[in-house]
Amino acid sequence: MATAARYGSRVDAGLLVGCVVLSLIAVVLKDEDREPVASALRRSIVAPLVGLQRGAERWRSAWVASEQRQLASDSVAIRAIKEQALQVENEQLRKIVGLGSRLEWGFIPAEAVHSAAPSEDVVTNMTLTAGSVAGVQRYNPVVAPEGLVGVVQTADPTMSVAILYTSPDFRASAMSADAGAFGIVYPHTGRGSAAYMLELRGVSTRVQLKPGTQVYTSGLGGTFPRGIAIGSVVSELKTTEPWTRTYLLRPAVSPSRVTTVLVLTAQRVTQGTGNVWGGAVNADSATRRIVAANDSIARQAALIEAQARRAALDSVRRATIDSVRRSLGAVVTPVTPESTTVRAPAAASTTPRTPVQRRDTTRARRDSTRPDTTRKSPT
Amino acid sequence: MNWTGAVRTMLVCAILIVLHYTLRPLLAWRASIDFLIVALLLGSVRLRPGAAAVYGFLLGLVADSIAVSPFGAAALAMSIVGFGASWLKAVFFADNLALNGFFLFLAKWIFDLIFLIVGHRAVDPELAMQIFVWSPLAAAVTAVAGVIALSLLKPLMEVRTA
Repeated sequence: MATAARYGSRVDAGLLVGCVVLSLIAVVLKDEDREPVASALRRSIVAPLVGLQRGAERWRSAWVASEQRQLASDSVAIRAIKEQALQVENEQLRKIVGLGSRLEWGFIPAEAVHSAAPSEDVVTNMTLTAGSVAGVQRYNPVVAPEGLVGVVQTADPTMSVAILYTSPDFRASAMSADAGAFGIVYPHTGRGSAAYMLELRGVSTRVQLKPGTQVYTSGLGGTFPRGIAIGSVVSELKTTEPWTRTYLLRPAVSPSRVTTVLVLTAQRVTQGTGNVWGGAVNADSATRRIVAANDSIARQAALIEAQARRAALDSVRRATIDSVRRSLGAVVTPVTPESTTVRAPAAASTTPRTPVQRRDTTRARRDSTRPDTTRKSPT
Repeated sequence: MNWTGAVRTMLVCAILIVLHYTLRPLLAWRASIDFLIVALLLGSVRLRPGAAAVYGFLLGLVADSIAVSPFGAAALAMSIVGFGASWLKAVFFADNLALNGFFLFLAKWIFDLIFLIVGHRAVDPELAMQIFVWSPLAAAVTAVAGVIALSLLKPLMEVRTA
């Protein structure tokens, strides 16, 4: 038993030594000598494994290529999104620059940082990157190219906080584009998208605003200058107040899109902004001017027509009088337009005139072509 | 080991060898799983040391013929590892997964040591990096994968010989 075990151990050791020696021979072989052996193995016994490995590597390379394509398409998509965002930002900045050039003076540009609390459904305030050092004061209006954004609530030296029109504390005196209706703008109490709507309250019942009517700040109250766009009328809201109307407004400015704003200074508020936002106001006033101009033209035309008609009647009257006088042998006095326009028969009747015998009165006038005068001349 | 056990062992080893040439290229990890070492140990512990050395030698030749590595280095390393595994089979047959994992780790690391030193594949700094960083990592990954594979293939290998 021990002999067998010893024999087995020797065989094992011999096999190990044989394997090690063969391996070392393979290691020390030159490339041209060991390559045929490796190649023969690859073509025969190991061929299925080579096929498996090749297939797996092909799958791997296809997967990597697909991943790279996905990455490339993702990067293209990201670039497109960034480009779109840049375009939007560029557009906003252009509008801000345009608004600044229209205002010319009396404003402080600032970046708007939205600071909604997680519990808030609606964004009601925003932080501005300009403070009292830059000239921002409390109650300064905050405007965007589209219209009114809000009003400064607190002004720190380097930053300030503005409440938006969605804030429950926001109020603005407003008017319709044609200044035919006045009211106070309040934030609309609603949920979801309706939370960003506004209400125009206190409009007189005799005034009815159509949907789409533009609403601007009226300048009353002194906080906002006249003419800042607030929004447009959506519909009339039914309320319990019998003497006033309330309208639902769609704001001109979307708070989520506001990234850059202008803060109007107090001096600018005092002196007004003119028709910076007044595209609609301008259009309305232009329409009114056109209507007024048409009216004046019509009036002028009617006046001219009346004058012409009167002149024609006067000339007929003059000719009639002239012929009658000639037929009666009276002296033909030249009739001036003044005498025709100003009725003076009474005066003529009150001042007796002595007929003067003139040579030419008994004859027919040569320059006259009227038949009645030629017929009656030889008397 | 009876014929059924031998067939089962061969089947499991074949599965592991196929995994080595399919899953490993797919994963392409820097510290990759060496299913050949798992297959070598699994077969070696069921063979006599001499036969295990021959088994390792053949597996090494297969690996050498496919890989770009110096021909014979893997054969030498696997011969030694197979012989050692068969000699230490009592350790590997312990019903302790952690011990089996450590055994796999050790086998893989020794294989890499022999393979790298004999192959002279790297200059000194890279060789040290390979031996002390990447080889232990690969050995650890192989140990984990080997333990998982042994656990999954346990139903196939119920017949054990001491």
